[in-house]
Order: sequence, then C-alpha cells, then structure tokens
Amino acid sequence: MRILREWSQRLWGTLLHRRRDGDLAQELQLHRELAAEDARRRGLNSTDSARAARLEAGGISQAMDALHDQRGVPWLDDLTRDAQHGIRMLRRTPVFTVVALLTLALGIGANTAIFSIVNGVILRPLDYPKPEQLMYLTTEFPVLRLTGSALSVQEYLEYRQITQSFAMVGAYRTIGGAYTTGEVNLTAGDRPLRARSISVDAQLLSALGVQPAQGRFFNQEETDRVGGLAPPLAILSSELWQTAFAGQPLIGHTLNVDGRPHEIIGIMPPSIDVMDNRTAIWLPLGLPAAIRQNRSFHILHVIGRLKDGVTAQAAQTELNAFLANWGERNGSSGHFPTNHPSRAADHTLQMQPLQDAMIGDARRSIWILQVAVGFVLLIACANLANLLMARAESRRREFAVRAALGASRSRLLRQTMTEGVLLCVAGGMLGLWLARVAVQALIRAYPTSVPRMSEIAIDLPVLLFALGVSMATGVLFGVAPVAQRRINDLVTAFKEGGDRGASSAGRHHIRRTLVVAEIALAVMLVIGAGLLIRTVYNLTSVDAGFDRSRLVTFSLTLPEPYDPDTRAPAYQRLLDKLRVTPGVERAAIMSGLPPNRSAEAIPTRIESHTASDGSPIEIIDYYQFVMGDYFGTMGVPIVAGRSFEPADAMSSGRVVIVNQTLANRIWKGRNPIGQRVRPNLSAAIGVGDNSWHTVIGVAKDVKQGGVEKATGTELYVSLDQLGMAAPTMNVVLRTTLPPAGLSRTLERLVRDVDPAVPIVRLREMDAVFAESIRRPRLLAQLLGGFAGLALLLAAVGTYGVLSYMVTERRREIGVRMALGASRSSVIGLVMRQGLQATAIGVIVGVGGAFAANRMIASLLYGVQPSDAVTMAGVIATISTVAAVACWLPGWRASRLDPNAVLKAD
Amino acid sequence: MVLQTLDSLGPLHGYAVAVRLEQVSGGALQLNMGTLYPALMRLEQRGLLRGNWGTMETNRKARFYAVTPAGRRQLARERHARDRMVGIIHTLLRGEA
Repeated sequence: MRILREWSQRLWGTLLHRRRDGDLAQELQLHRELAAEDARRRGLNSTDSARAARLEAGGISQAMDALHDQRGVPWLDDLTRDAQHGIRMLRRTPVFTVVALLTLALGIGANTAIFSIVNGVILRPLDYPKPEQLMYLTTEFPVLRLTGSALSVQEYLEYRQITQSFAMVGAYRTIGGAYTTGEVNLTAGDRPLRARSISVDAQLLSALGVQPAQGRFFNQEETDRVGGLAPPLAILSSELWQTAFAGQPLIGHTLNVDGRPHEIIGIMPPSIDVMDNRTAIWLPLGLPAAIRQNRSFHILHVIGRLKDGVTAQAAQTELNAFLANWGERNGSSGHFPTNHPSRAADHTLQMQPLQDAMIGDARRSIWILQVAVGFVLLIACANLANLLMARAESRRREFAVRAALGASRSRLLRQTMTEGVLLCVAGGMLGLWLARVAVQALIRAYPTSVPRMSEIAIDLPVLLFALGVSMATGVLFGVAPVAQRRINDLVTAFKEGGDRGASSAGRHHIRRTLVVAEIALAVMLVIGAGLLIRTVYNLTSVDAGFDRSRLVTFSLTLPEPYDPDTRAPAYQRLLDKLRVTPGVERAAIMSGLPPNRSAEAIPTRIESHTASDGSPIEIIDYYQFVMGDYFGTMGVPIVAGRSFEPADAMSSGRVVIVNQTLANRIWKGRNPIGQRVRPNLSAAIGVGDNSWHTVIGVAKDVKQGGVEKATGTELYVSLDQLGMAAPTMNVVLRTTLPPAGLSRTLERLVRDVDPAVPIVRLREMDAVFAESIRRPRLLAQLLGGFAGLALLLAAVGTYGVLSYMVTERRREIGVRMALGASRSSVIGLVMRQGLQATAIGVIVGVGGAFAANRMIASLLYGVQPSDAVTMAGVIATISTVAAVACWLPGWRASRLDPNAVLKAD
Repeated sequence: MVLQTLDSLGPLHGYAVAVRLEQVSGGALQLNMGTLYPALMRLEQRGLLRGNWGTMETNRKARFYAVTPAGRRQLARERHARDRMVGIIHTLLRGEA
C-alpha cells in the first residue's frame, strides 16, 4: 500500500516535478551551511570548515542526483534523456536517418494498408445486430459441380415454414422478376438515372435485423403476394436519398421505377446493404405463381438468422433432414437429393456464415498479401538492424566511454532500443500517412475488386496495429546491435581506437545471416508474384472463343410498358440504325454478355435423349438469345452446319445453334445437325410456347461464365425468329471507333428509339475482360509491387553489408593491392562473399517457396506452383540484382589507392 | 530511526536529524546528504512524514519534518516487529548457549 503510494507520488513527481530543484537545493545548501558552522565552532577556519562539512555531508550535486532518482521514476527520466540523446544522434547522421525512416515508412505503411483491408473485410463483423447468427444458404449440385447456387422457390417457401433452427429466413433476388437486371431506371426530377436494385421479401429485412431510418419496411402481405407484378413500393438507400434527392422528405412520394410509378415507403439507415450488392433501391420480391411450385428454378438467395442458442451445426442437420424427407412430405419421387448424387438435379443445401459467403475466396488473397507485406517488413527490419549494427560499430567508442563511466549493459541496451523505437514511431507515423493515401487510392482505383471495400478504413484497430508493428519493429532491430556486443571487449574498443578494429567473425556471421534471410524472403515473394503474374497473363490470353478486338458493347433496358412483343421491334429499329452508322462494321444484340454471366442452369428437353438420371431433360448452363448477325459480329466461328440467316425469321421451322460442349455432351460424336431440342423459353424469358427447335449449327465454345472456368453448355436461340426480346439486352458493335468517339452518336440513336432509356456501361470488350479478371490482376499487381520492394530492399541490404565489409577491410585490401593483387581479384574477393550469401539465400528461398506455394495454388491458373520457368526466371533476376549489388562495393574496393590507405594509418 | 528521532523530538529539519542520529549512535552513524534527504523524501512520499518550510531560531528558513499519524502507526508496528524479532533471537541464542 505504502509502496503503491510512494510510486504514485513518484510518477506524479515525474510528470509535475512537485518539488522544484531550487527548493531541494535550498534545503541541501542549508544543511551544508549548518554543518560548516558546527565545524567552525569546533575550531577550524572557514575554508577548512567548509571542506570538513563537504566531506562529512557529501557533495550537493551527488545528493541532488540521489534526490532526483527518489523524486521521480528514474526509468522514465532516463527515457526522456535517451530520447533527447537519440534525436541528437539521429540528426547528426541525416543520411542514415532518412534511409531508415523511408524503409520503415514503406514497411509499416504497406503493413498498415493491408491490415486495414484484413480488418475491414475479414475481422470486423458485419454491420447487422448479432451478425454471427446470420447464415447464407446455398444449393450445391455435386454432379454439375455447381457450388453456391441459389435456392428454388418451392424449397425456400417450405423450409421457411417448418424451420425450428432459424428465427427468421428471408430471400432476395438481384436479377429476374419484375426488375430484371439488378438495376432499374429511375426518374429523379427530370434526370433519368440508373440505380442498383434488390428485390427482397419482408422476412429478409427482419432477418437482417435492421430498422428503417424513416417510414416503414415492406410487410409480409406485400412481398408474399402470389401472381402478378410485385406491389409498386420502394425503399431508398440512405445514400441514394442523399445524393439524388438531397435528403428532402420523400415518404409517400411517387418515384418512377422502370417506367412504373412506385410509392416510396421508407429510407434505409446509412451503409445498410446485402451481400455487397451496393444497393441503392429496395423493391418488394414478387414471385410468379408458376415458379412457386417449381423446384428446378434456383433463383432465390436466402439468408437466415439462427435462433438464440442454436448452433450452425444443428441448423445444418435440420437442412439435411429437410431435403431427405422431401419425398415423404410431398409425395414426389423424382428429383430428390441422395447421399449418392447421380443425376444433374440432385442437390444438397448448405449454409455458411454470411460474412464468409460475402468474402468468399478473397479471404485467401488478402491473407497472402498480409503475409507478403509481413515479409517486406522483416526484410526492412533486417536492413535496419544491419544499418544500426554498422552504426553501432562506429559508436563503439561512445559506448565504451559510457560503459567506463558506469553505464550498465541494460542501460546501453535501453539507449539503442530507445533510438530504434524513436525511429520506428516516426517511421510508423509516416507509414500511417502513406497507408491512408494508399488505401484511398486503392478504393478509388478498384471500387469493386475486394468485397466490403466500402468498409475499409484506418480506424482504431488499424491504428493500434500500426503502433504495435512500429514498436515491435523498433525493439526487434534495436536489440540486434547490442545483442552482438560484448561489454567486456570495451577495453579492446579503446585500444583499437574504434573504427580500425579487426572485426570479429561472430559479427560478420550475424550480418551474413541477415543477408541470407533477406534474400530468402525476397525470393519467396518474387516467386509468388511471378506465378500470379503468369496467372494473369494466362487469363488475358485465354481463347474466349471470339475475337474481342475492336468490339464495343453497351446495355439497354426497355422496361414496362414494353412487353416481349413490342420490345423486339424497338431493338430491331435500333439495330437497323446501328448497321448503317459510319464506323460500325457489324452489329448484333444478345441477352447475356460474356465472360461474366452466371450460369442459368435451365432444364431443357432433348428429343430422343436420355440424361444420366433417366429423364429426357438436360440442364443447359446458358441460353443466349441473339438478334442480328451475332456470330459474324462477335467473330465466333461456326464449326459445323450454318449460322442463323435472315430467311430463318420468315420460316416456320424453329432453329437453334449449340456450342461444342453441348454437342459433345448430348450427341457424343453423332451429328448434332438436324437433332431437335425444346428450349424452355418460359423459364428463360418468361414467355413463349416451348416448341421443338431443330439444331442447324455448332458454334465454337465461348467463355460465358468466366475465362478461368470450364466452358458450360450453351444454346443459341434467334430472337429474330421468335419476334420477342427480353427487357435488358446487350448491344455489341464491331467498329473502328473507340467508345468515347461513339457515345454521342449512340446516345442520339437510342434517343430516337426511346428518349427515356439510358445507355448503360458503354465500353470496349477488352475492358469487360479486364474487369472479369480484376481480382487476380489486383492481387498480382499488389504482390508484384511488394515483391519488387522486397527485392530492392534485399539488394540495398546486400550492398550495404558488403560496402561496410569493404570499409572495414580497407587496410587488408590496401595491403593485398600493395603486394600486387590485381583489381579484378579484389572485385572477385568482395563479390565471392556477397554471392555466397546470395546463393544460400536463393536455395533457402526456393525451398520456402515450394513449401508456401501450396497456399496460393488455388489462385493460380494455367501454371503449376512449382513452375520451372517462373523459378528459373526468378532465380536469374535475383542473381542479376545480387550480382550488381555485390559488384558495386567490389568495384569501389578495387579503386582504393593502396598508398593512401596505408598512409592513413 | 528517522521516524523515532522525529517522534521523540518533534519536528526537526534535515541537519538536526543527522546531528541527532550521530549523537545517539555515538558518532557511529554519519548520514551524508545523499542518503538522508532521499530517505526523508521517500518517507514523505509514503505519507509517513510531512515536510514544511518554517523558520529556525536563528531566523533562517528550513524545512521541518513532522511525523504524521500514519507514520506514528508505522513506527509502532515496526517497534512491535523489532521487539518480537529481538525476543525470538534472544530466546534462540540463549537456548543454544
């Protein structure tokens, strides 16, 4: 207790200096005067009495020191003094300080930036109440190897009724239904605008547990309504409300959504979204009556909130039982899941935490980046430790003097550590600033490349991380210089006169180990980056099945009151105008834009065919509805049969074209031409009579669902022949003009067709492709950047260590040269040392890469983790860089004038 | 010792404490300033003493230290502990002899 009080008083004393030095000095002074008077009384003269008093009582300054120690916390006082001393030392060596600060700022900045992604995306829970209870449900098709598919309406509705594990299960769609594209045309004032939409049911909103900021949410009666269009109600996101409507009162007002007046019933709280949809407008989910009883249409994304105390495992068991008992409950025998899936439609229901579902495979990439920047920081630390060690060498005399004056070993250690921490705190602050700038730039440049991108920020956990990393770094490389020092060789330090001492082998050993470690880490990073860069290269050079140069595309939506029959002539008019536009060689319109389509998996009847489950129905991945000269415009070769022709539109015999994959899967070597299929048009575009169509041609495979994925089965249907069209279509032009040059003309043409319809996403096909591989590209770019940084730091480190060795061995080299060593042999001497370390580093690094590359194997495309070409390239690069880094000091050594060196002694 | 001195003699300044201790110990105990004043400060920090500037008989300003009630309690505790210890040692030594 007393002790506690003493220390709190001491701390107080440190902070506020309760008793001033003058006050203390006065007391001591009085003591001495009284002592002197006493002594005088004992008969000594005044000089002697003063001396006696001093002898008896001790010196004032010593007593003051003791009092200072007692008054405050000596350790804290020392820290201030160390820091002041440290700052003086750092200012005296500006080059060292600047290099160290820059290295640290880069290392800490990169770590902080990536950690802000780790924190914002992976670590921070979702912005809903009790987010750990939210589960995302998916359908898995083992036979089709489709994973993460949506749920069928029938299964969703039934499960929602009977579930005991979930407090609430809700569903949403972003495409399909009344609002087909995930985006709607809005009229805000007189300006048409395009907003990302989502169609939800009331259960979803209550499962998420959010409350409207204003107004109300949809109720169950509104979203469960059977048949017809969904009720014309809308909820706006807070962001849309602010940007498009300037935050004015809107509840009860009417807003045109896709041409239909909707009543605004609510405003969402800020930053509320579902699955990163960037939702601007929330609309009620409307489910057509026909779809409710159909288990083959997997169109609903389902999110459930577990009841309190129910584990995810219990819920999963319930889901399994739900499907297993399906047949009994519904009395249906076909199309039920089994433990041994054999048919395409067999499926299971799985669930995972909503956050995991959102992050998906980005999690791995983000952790890999974090590990990579960690490596960069380690290399930076090794470099700085080397630098500080070299500096400590030149400060041997300073330390020797301080030790001789009584500084303890721990006191010296504290001094160097204080300097290290000082550097790191300064570097950390710089790094924090760098990280802020970098993260902002990243969000601007790649707004959708990382899930939850909008939630990435430099917040408290990130600040703490940066602080922690800075301190740890400081301690780590501040300890190194002293750890290698033995205080008992102080005498040697004096005798040697400091900088000319023969350096001990042990010290060199530590340095070389640091260089080896740096190179090994850099090798691992560069190999990882090399593999990812090859992946991106492979992805860009994948044969997507069509010629994407000089292709420009945009999309259009013709909403209500257009119906399928009136849309087709409108699109046809546009197509006719486009064909005669100068600069446009060919034009076509299609329903789905490769390569970013999601599989539709439409059950399709095939004539005289038996699928693996015994039915005549085969699931086809994609339907592509085309108008005009699709194959000619896209440059998709027809490998057998013929293309659609204008004459087909007039003919009564319906025709389709299949892709190679579909032809091979179904007709297995037999001639597909002349076979008949019955496209499920009612499922695909919601209208039409499912009549028999004859296959007239086979088209080359086009990568519809992602360049890195296997091509799916695809069926081409001619809309010219059907005389109808889907609400949203994609226009594609083969042109000599860039999109910017075309936009004015296109806007005029589209206005001629319908002035209320905006042109959406006008861009080159190359840009569409670039976007489809944006995530691997971003990963490769970042990792490449970090690998470059690592390589640079490792090279600088190698150079630094060798330079220092050369400086240390100046005398030896001078003697050698005086005795006739040639310049090249001196270069060889220095380079041999550096290259030995490099070689060991490369071997260790390649070994490490083999071990670690399994981590990134799943992110690679078209290249093995142990790819020999990449390895060889990396080794060659590193060796070249290392050779340059070793040659420079060698060259400098060879330029030494032996005369000057020897005379200097 | 300091506490005992101050307790028996009332408030004193630092030099007087040193002189008194020297007298009591018969010159065996000579405290120098570097020992005495930090000790006084420590006791003050622990709340066992209070120091105040006052005026000496010779009209000089000096800092007088007085024992606080807590200091008196502490002194009593230490006296008691010492007495016990001495008693134990006494018994032990006699037992051995």
